[in-house]
Amino acid sequence: MDDYLIGVLSNIGVISFVALSAYLLLLTGEISFGQQGFFAIGAYAAGIATALWGWSLTTALVWGAAVSGSAALLVGVPTLRLHGLYFAIATLAFAEMVRILFELFRYQISIDGELIGPNGTDGFRNIRYIFDHNIDAFQFLLLIYSLLAATMLAFMLLERSRLGVIFRMIGQDETLAELQGIPVARYRVLAAGIAGMLAGIGGGLYAHLTTYVEPRIFDIMLGVHSLAYGLIGGLGTALGPLLGVLIDIGLLESIRALAGYRMIIFGGLVAMLLIVRPRGLLDEVVVHKIGRGWRRVALWVRRSGLKPRANNARATGGPP
Amino acid sequence: MRSVAHAMTTLAMLALCGLEAAHAQVRAKAEVSCRPAEKLQYDCIIKLANSRTSEPLSGLTLMVGADMPSMPAAHNVRPVKATEEQDKGTYRARIALEMYGDWALRLELSGAVRDRVVKLLRFESDRVGEATPTQAPGRHRH
Amino acid sequence: MIDLIQNTVDGVMIGSSYGLLALGFTLIFGVMRRLDLAYGPSIMIGGYFGTLLYLHYGAGPFAVAIAVVIGAVIAGIYVERLCFAPMKAGAAIASMVSSFAIWMQLEQAAILVLPRHTYPFPPLATAAPLEFGPFLVRVDHLIMLACALALAAAVHIALYRTRFGLALRAIIGNPVAAHLVGINVRTAVLLAFAGASAVGGAAGFLVLAVDQQVTPMFGMWATLKGLIAMMIGGLGSVPGAVVGGLLLGIVEANSQWYFGPQIRDLVAYVVLFAFLVVRPQGLLGSAPEPAMPPKA
Repeated sequence: MDDYLIGVLSNIGVISFVALSAYLLLLTGEISFGQQGFFAIGAYAAGIATALWGWSLTTALVWGAAVSGSAALLVGVPTLRLHGLYFAIATLAFAEMVRILFELFRYQISIDGELIGPNGTDGFRNIRYIFDHNIDAFQFLLLIYSLLAATMLAFMLLERSRLGVIFRMIGQDETLAELQGIPVARYRVLAAGIAGMLAGIGGGLYAHLTTYVEPRIFDIMLGVHSLAYGLIGGLGTALGPLLGVLIDIGLLESIRALAGYRMIIFGGLVAMLLIVRPRGLLDEVVVHKIGRGWRRVALWVRRSGLKPRANNARATGGPP
Repeated sequence: MRSVAHAMTTLAMLALCGLEAAHAQVRAKAEVSCRPAEKLQYDCIIKLANSRTSEPLSGLTLMVGADMPSMPAAHNVRPVKATEEQDKGTYRARIALEMYGDWALRLELSGAVRDRVVKLLRFESDRVGEATPTQAPGRHRH
Repeated sequence: MIDLIQNTVDGVMIGSSYGLLALGFTLIFGVMRRLDLAYGPSIMIGGYFGTLLYLHYGAGPFAVAIAVVIGAVIAGIYVERLCFAPMKAGAAIASMVSSFAIWMQLEQAAILVLPRHTYPFPPLATAAPLEFGPFLVRVDHLIMLACALALAAAVHIALYRTRFGLALRAIIGNPVAAHLVGINVRTAVLLAFAGASAVGGAAGFLVLAVDQQVTPMFGMWATLKGLIAMMIGGLGSVPGAVVGGLLLGIVEANSQWYFGPQIRDLVAYVVLFAFLVVRPQGLLGSAPEPAMPPKA
């Protein structure tokens, strides 16, 4: 696999985490413009852990997720009373505060005669874990995608579980959910914490992928992008945000001739798409239809005996 | 379903554990100067040296890529291979960018030394200079 | 103490532009119940029109101002037609994300046409700053304040003394009822958008002329300042927009003086966050319940 492809796929993988983070909150009916704040916290925390404290990558990623998850819980509580636009802007304010704080944050240690660590607006360079430990690009790609696969699996399980139903109930109508006896506040905070952790994992991976982060990276553009991915790809399934990321980074990247006009095209496409499909490509209706179609196929397969059953005396026309 | 979950988590754990081999590496430092060539294309001269001894690093494979800090992971500039010049440790590459602005050049070294150096530069239509942090409007001059 | 007063005076000046930006934003939000993230960038398009005029024809500030307003209005109408008009009633998030997509479009279009990092803008006045005792007041700041106040007054008159304004207030109050009494809501909304963009364009011109330059960052900056001022003052409230703008200006000017530009921005966000947590309806806003339609 050539380096360019590995690079693009790695980017898609990492950004998917933030997209999924925003998606989780969208499920509970809240718009967040601020997930990039947790992405930043995860990136810096994990980076500091490996570059300054010499921790292993695993521990650093867990640490990054823990710090960003806790931050998300801290923000989730005071914003409980807020909904809709107010909540969205509060998350925006928070993410910008995080970004500016990182512009002021200096924490450098001298290692081998070199100053390593976050240095305000200059950013955090030399997060060299993958070089110091001989991890090549392809191995890191595998790491990103195995974590992403585990996350997607978790989402699939979530959709089928009681928790997933509760989240969607809260998203549909909070008052009704409350009336059903669901402690909405607790679940909202839970969703916020999980979403924060997800973004934090993505951030930790990003920091080690690029070996260099600066506060400018974690601005509003990233936040609104991650929200947009879910909305474009579809809110019916966790594959939706992934689809959105794929369309933006994957598809548009390959059209080299349009390099200078990418945002103009992407912007126009998104605007037109949202007119016809306000809940994205893979919205709940489509997912439901696909699910129904799938079940029909499965039923047909079973009925026509193509899949021979152990004690089926009526096996006809299929392989022995 | 459960077994698949198990399998995936094991895979993730294995992937993480497998990456623990520790190894000390030679570190590189780089000097980069770029000149605009055609539209959105730049000729860059890169001098690579050992960051500790300042000895020029020669015979390496140098791939030059770029990322835009203000739009992380959004641009994927196809990395170009640099060719080494007469002077040991001096390499030249022509890169094609997607837009003007601040780019973080990613110098990927492989071969005898495996490393990555990141250089932040501002690429404009007529010159390439240092990337200074941007100033928001509304600053008051007295 | 002198510093405090000087900063407050400066803050009121720049705050008047924030107030205008917030005014346009609030008008759009009031009639649409949706947030237009492309608001700042459409003003920036106007700014780029203006700088083109200035660069190529050496036009004076007045002509440039008109160019900026026209540019902003054209961009605003484009946004309205693409992001807000075609959306069904409940698709609020979709409209917002759509406006963000158009924000990216407008920003890239501007950078393609004028790729440099900064472009000059004609100054409002070149006279030396006036002195009032120990205080210094820049002439262009004064002009900015005067224009902002005049515009705010004009918007107030338009809203409260004209039939169109009455129609707008009816729509802001209850769009369905307004429709039922025969108001052509779609046309009124389009006109309101154009008007809000014009106001934003004027505000943009004032800020750019005082800054004497326009940069590609201006779009996001204008949206953020307008948003913060609007939320502090009160979502959907016209006097709130002005008050919020002034307050933001004062807080920012003092923060910058005592702590520097980064703390200035940080304080703005902290104040915003604090307001949202403690008093989401802002200083003069009405119901604390979000005006946005439930889950799109």
